[in-house]
Amino acid sequence: MMSRLLWVLVLVAALGALPASGQQPYYAGKTVEIIVPFAPGGGSDIDARFFAPFLEKYVPGNPRVIVRNMPGGGSILGANFFAENARPDGTQLLVTSGSTMIPYILGVPQVRYDPARWELIKVNGVGGVLYVSPRTGVRKPEDLARPAERLVYGGISATGLDLVTLLLFEVLGLDVRVVMGFEGRGPARLAFERGETNIDYQTTPAYLSQVVPLVREGKAIPILSMGFVNEKGVMVRDPSAPDLPSAYEAYQALFKRKPDGLLRWKAYQSMVAAAFTFQKAMWAPGGTPPEALQALRTAVERMKTDPQFREQGRQVLEGYEVLRGDLAKPAVLRATRVTLDVKKYITDLLRSKYQVRL
Amino acid sequence: MAEALSAAAGLFLNPTRLGMLALGSGVGLLIGILPGMGGIVAAAILLPFMLKLEPAAALAMVTGALAVVHTSDTITSVLIGAPGSAAAVPTMIEGHPMARRGEAARALAAAYLSSLVGGIIGALGLTLSIPLARPLVLSFGSPELFMLTVLGVSFAGSLLGREPLKGLSAGLLGLLLGTVGPAPAAAEVRFAFGQVYLTDGIDLALVALGLFGVAEVVSLLARGGAVAQRTELGRGWWEGALDVWRHRWLVIRGALIGMWAGVLPAIGATAGTLMAYGHAVATSRDRSRFGKGDVRGIIAPEAANNAVEAGDLVPTLLFGVPGGAPSAMILGALLAYGILPGPRIVTQHLDLIYTVVWSFALANVLGAGVMFAASPLLARLTYVPFNRIAPPIVLAMVLAAFQETQHFGDLVSLVALGVAGYALKVTGWPRGPLLIGFVLSNPLERYYFLTVNLYPRPEDWLLRPGVVVIGLLVVAPFAWGAFRWLRQRTRTEPEAARQPIGASAVATAAVLGVFGYAWWTARGFLANAALMPVSVAAAGTVLTAVQLVRELRGRSSPLTDEDEVEAEPHAVRERVRRGAAYLASLALYVAATWFVGLRWASVLWSLWVLVGVARVRWPTAVAYAALMVAGLELLASVLGVHLPQGRLRL
Repeated sequence: MMSRLLWVLVLVAALGALPASGQQPYYAGKTVEIIVPFAPGGGSDIDARFFAPFLEKYVPGNPRVIVRNMPGGGSILGANFFAENARPDGTQLLVTSGSTMIPYILGVPQVRYDPARWELIKVNGVGGVLYVSPRTGVRKPEDLARPAERLVYGGISATGLDLVTLLLFEVLGLDVRVVMGFEGRGPARLAFERGETNIDYQTTPAYLSQVVPLVREGKAIPILSMGFVNEKGVMVRDPSAPDLPSAYEAYQALFKRKPDGLLRWKAYQSMVAAAFTFQKAMWAPGGTPPEALQALRTAVERMKTDPQFREQGRQVLEGYEVLRGDLAKPAVLRATRVTLDVKKYITDLLRSKYQVRL
Repeated sequence: MAEALSAAAGLFLNPTRLGMLALGSGVGLLIGILPGMGGIVAAAILLPFMLKLEPAAALAMVTGALAVVHTSDTITSVLIGAPGSAAAVPTMIEGHPMARRGEAARALAAAYLSSLVGGIIGALGLTLSIPLARPLVLSFGSPELFMLTVLGVSFAGSLLGREPLKGLSAGLLGLLLGTVGPAPAAAEVRFAFGQVYLTDGIDLALVALGLFGVAEVVSLLARGGAVAQRTELGRGWWEGALDVWRHRWLVIRGALIGMWAGVLPAIGATAGTLMAYGHAVATSRDRSRFGKGDVRGIIAPEAANNAVEAGDLVPTLLFGVPGGAPSAMILGALLAYGILPGPRIVTQHLDLIYTVVWSFALANVLGAGVMFAASPLLARLTYVPFNRIAPPIVLAMVLAAFQETQHFGDLVSLVALGVAGYALKVTGWPRGPLLIGFVLSNPLERYYFLTVNLYPRPEDWLLRPGVVVIGLLVVAPFAWGAFRWLRQRTRTEPEAARQPIGASAVATAAVLGVFGYAWWTARGFLANAALMPVSVAAAGTVLTAVQLVRELRGRSSPLTDEDEVEAEPHAVRERVRRGAAYLASLALYVAATWFVGLRWASVLWSLWVLVGVARVRWPTAVAYAALMVAGLELLASVLGVHLPQGRLRL
């Protein structure tokens, strides 16, 4: 018994000493797998595939980095898989999106993951822009209260990213006919262009490439940005759409007072933070060795100075900063923890107005 | 436009880019041969290399790959009846019986040639229509898109087979299967039985692999011998080329259907191909050969499936709305080069668009040309005893199924769908309408609700000119059919021979059970989630109940696992029993995978088939299995294919 214990101790000591004595970087000869819980081609997939070659380049030891798509259950399946099966040795990472966090925040029963138990590697966000058709007669946020025709919005599903837009409509007290059922924001935008809907939002990158040309032709009018939540927990303007008022300013313009303290405002702002500001997060399982985490996080810091990263990132990241995981983790986790009254407000709203049973 | 065309020619005709194009096409062809693997795998493999190339060369490479993945998936569809993708199912339905008649070379040649022509027509059409495409696409509102899905579903009407009642029920079963998962218009997940795996619905590739691929492989195994049952070689190749010439207008119509299905959102690539198939059947005077190896049933969908991919480039590039995952990946690659799809692309990057379009056409010529030349050689595969080549084929299908979500549920679904597919096959249920129903179920429901919610007053959408025109297209064939039926009513059909109540009635009862259960369950859904499954299941319950009564009265169809030759009832029963045993062995295979992982389970299963069934000697069988596993490892390490791991880590 004693001798076996001794053996184990010797073995552990030897293994622990190996990397130190051999001067081999932790990741030398390893393969890192980034699990994307969405189908190929989506935003999270593009994000992961964009980061992969730069991780290969900047993580000491130059591991091979591959992307593995595990779609299903609106990303719950892949995230559950990661929570239950991922090796805590830094060779399996997970990319999550806003639609992975919303079910977690709302306490959907199928969710078996808890980001608080993971280690954050990097996070980068995105904004959103709300725009209307000229037919509505709306030119600025104040006009939203009295549109020339009934506002019609095309959404995907009330429990996805559209939840943020629905909360925005509540905050601004808008009377909008919401039509759910589009396959994605792209088809919803086509419906706007066809004149079937007259109020729409796109993530800021999609807005800049797809909607700005319409704005120039006079077929769309931008009204406000969904806003960006900074590290102090204050909503500021979208860094990629700095000319547009944020939802916070829009509220002030409409109601001539600040929204702070209102329950529906608290709900909206926490969802903006969780679903937009911290949209694309990359995680390692809890218990990952510190040297692995250090290597990954330092790589994120170093790739940001790479001219190629900046050049290609201009389109993929669209001017939003990539934050190092250890620095951003408290803010990200704060965004996923909503108070009970906020959660109740959201579930009540979904149940009463959008027939969602949670 | 003319300047852009010449600029594109300059960009395009450059040795490096042409080399990249050829390289991409080679990868695409190789990936396409593996059943169930298509554009996504090809794009994923090429993506890392693309980022190291300049934009035009990278685009040429990835377009080259995507253009030809549907070209080579014809091989497995025709030769072994395992559709390489859902879009290849019509080719399998018609091409595989031809292969069994010893006409594999003819089927392959016809498929490749029409593929080639279809791709070129698609590219030509795009070149002409890109400047107009934007307003044209925008003129199709939700009501028109809804009517298009209705039109697509109505195309199943020409594929009902000998027993229209069963055909209709099969179509409804497909629609019902398509409602599994999230409801488009209400926040509710349907028929998931508490499984997270089912909350996104059933994957199309799995449905094609299971219902058709597994069912066919099992019936080939049960039949024994080689795929080809007659052994006259020759003249097939040239014959196939002549077939395409004879049906040249069908090629053009098929390509146009495919192109538009790709250009317009909502319908999707698979449905476009199936619609071209339905169109071929509907416009043929003599329909008796369809389903038994009619070359027209290969020509139209093969012309369509390449044109679909070309058409799909329009919403991808002009609107940033990709029609499928492969084009979504092209989109991601474009982003990395700072090329933003959208309205501005026509003014800023028209030359690049034309480069993509013409890379597409050239890759088609390359890929189809190579395969066309190789088809006589490939056709010889149909003379090898099937049980000797079954192990790698089954392994490839299991592997392909597992790539969908890499959840063990993929394998369970594959076997379950395989059992269902085989049962439907032997009891004479047409699976074509089922597939059409499945593919269009979601768009049909989605665009129905979008239409009625966006246009609250019915007259606002029902009277739109587009809706009226498409509506007439839907109704016309049925009116014509009714007219003909009225005129011919005097001729009475000979009474079919009475059949004893058998397995067929059991299958019908099972389908009735599915419909009944779904009806009962769906009543508890939210109103907007219930409408589709309730109406489909109610109609299905009524139709299958009528069918069951007919069968109990002795009007059922006999067991059959052939599409053509009617064999002795006794021999058929014997074969079906063997088929059931093979299905059970596949279930054991998957169960073994759960415990010991795919490598060892495949070794066990193939040793059993090779030694126990094919009577191969032990040393040869062991070497064969070892070679197979080596190939598996190669796939895993080179292509990054994921292998199911066992619970016992060996």
